[in-house]
Amino acid sequence: MSNVLRPYLAAVRSTLTAALTLENFSSQVVERHNKPEVEVGGSKEVLLTPLTISRNENERVLIEPSVNSIRLSIKIKQADEIERILCHKFTRFMMQRAENFIVLRRKPVQGYDISFLITNTHSETMLKHKIVDFIIQFMEDVDREISEMKLSLNARARIVAESYLTAFNS
Amino acid sequence: MILLEPHNVIIQTTLSEKITKPASVDVQFVDYDGVRFHLSTPERKSVLLLSMHIRCWDELVQYGAIDVLRREYGALLQPQPEPEYSVSLEIDLEQLPASPEDRDAFVMSIALFKRNALAAPFEHAFASQKGLESAATGSGELMQIHYRDEEAIYIQASHDRVTVIFSTVFRDETDRIYGKVFLQEFVDARRQPSIQNAPQVLYSNRDPPLEIRHLPDLRNTEDTGYVTFVLFPRHFGNATVASGTISHIQLFRDYLHYHIKCSKAYMHSRMRHRVAEFQKVLNRAKTEVATGEKKTVSGRTLVTR
Repeated sequence: MSNVLRPYLAAVRSTLTAALTLENFSSQVVERHNKPEVEVGGSKEVLLTPLTISRNENERVLIEPSVNSIRLSIKIKQADEIERILCHKFTRFMMQRAENFIVLRRKPVQGYDISFLITNTHSETMLKHKIVDFIIQFMEDVDREISEMKLSLNARARIVAESYLTAFNS
Repeated sequence: MILLEPHNVIIQTTLSEKITKPASVDVQFVDYDGVRFHLSTPERKSVLLLSMHIRCWDELVQYGAIDVLRREYGALLQPQPEPEYSVSLEIDLEQLPASPEDRDAFVMSIALFKRNALAAPFEHAFASQKGLESAATGSGELMQIHYRDEEAIYIQASHDRVTVIFSTVFRDETDRIYGKVFLQEFVDARRQPSIQNAPQVLYSNRDPPLEIRHLPDLRNTEDTGYVTFVLFPRHFGNATVASGTISHIQLFRDYLHYHIKCSKAYMHSRMRHRVAEFQKVLNRAKTEVATGEKKTVSGRTLVTR
């Protein structure tokens, strides 16, 4: 992990750990409903102040806590067209498998690439610090994966072009 | 398996099979660029009829495809093609070359049917370059081959070179971006000292090259690109080099798209692997469900049914 990335991830980690204080909370609006308040947004008093952690203008994390759920959205670095398309493909690939990733949201929040929704049920059935670990690991790996994919695409393109052009010599 | 082969494998295998064991056959199959083939035995088991439908046949005829095919196949070429097809060959299995090597060469020449048909405009261009060389100025006719619905090859001879321009259309946004990376590499790869002798490659997105700018039916949208190959006389100096160049350059589009698809498949398998890794990390967060034997106070075992 690079030295530039470390404080960013540390900030996300401590903010997320602090925000993960969730409790069971039934809806105040509709009887016998129990929904993630951050998604419903029905009662303003149970929502906490959303928080953005930015590394630079292209990379940021939005954490929206509430009484029984927390929504975390990540904007992944996309320097050029190739990274944009690779990032889009990768996040889409993951979100199509959202039911396996229990905390993953099927759609990202507007302006972000991927979103997670952690509810009080998740924090009760799973280890809290391990969920945080997963999210940090994801943030760490996704950048690396995208840049590796980009490199491999370029390397392949070079080999393909060279072998095509070399064949003219024979 | 990086390079594609110019011959059609289905023709090659079916024909070799039928030579050893003649049997009635009726198969339809396809090749790149929407070319359709029909191999059948209409009358006798020993006489095969191979027909090909190619989209740009009228244009190819105009540039001398019939002459090229007659030179390659002689009397095999049928004066009247099968209905719905552009051109037909009749292969009599009883009049084949005797030695196994000649036979293989014959089968291979049949398998190059599509390549030979498409070779006509290239040969025409190479010949007209020879003619213009003495004049040391001027340029030949601009030949257009609309070999796909939206894509075409343009060939023009001038006194010192032959320019081959491919127009490419990428339907998919991802293909377009991948294609850009690949084509950029084609332009850059030539800087390597080992491939300095390769034809010069130019790539332009959206704007057509000067040679074809005057043509009326170009669609210049964001997803079109133009790839220009500049062939110098050393690429078609003698007959073997020229035929190698023709076989090779014809397959440019197929080669490019084949590798774009391969990259996409590779990316996909990579993502699959990475997502499985993430899954493992998340599974570590799940608390273990105690599965040990449960006992009551008096020592009896509880069994869940």
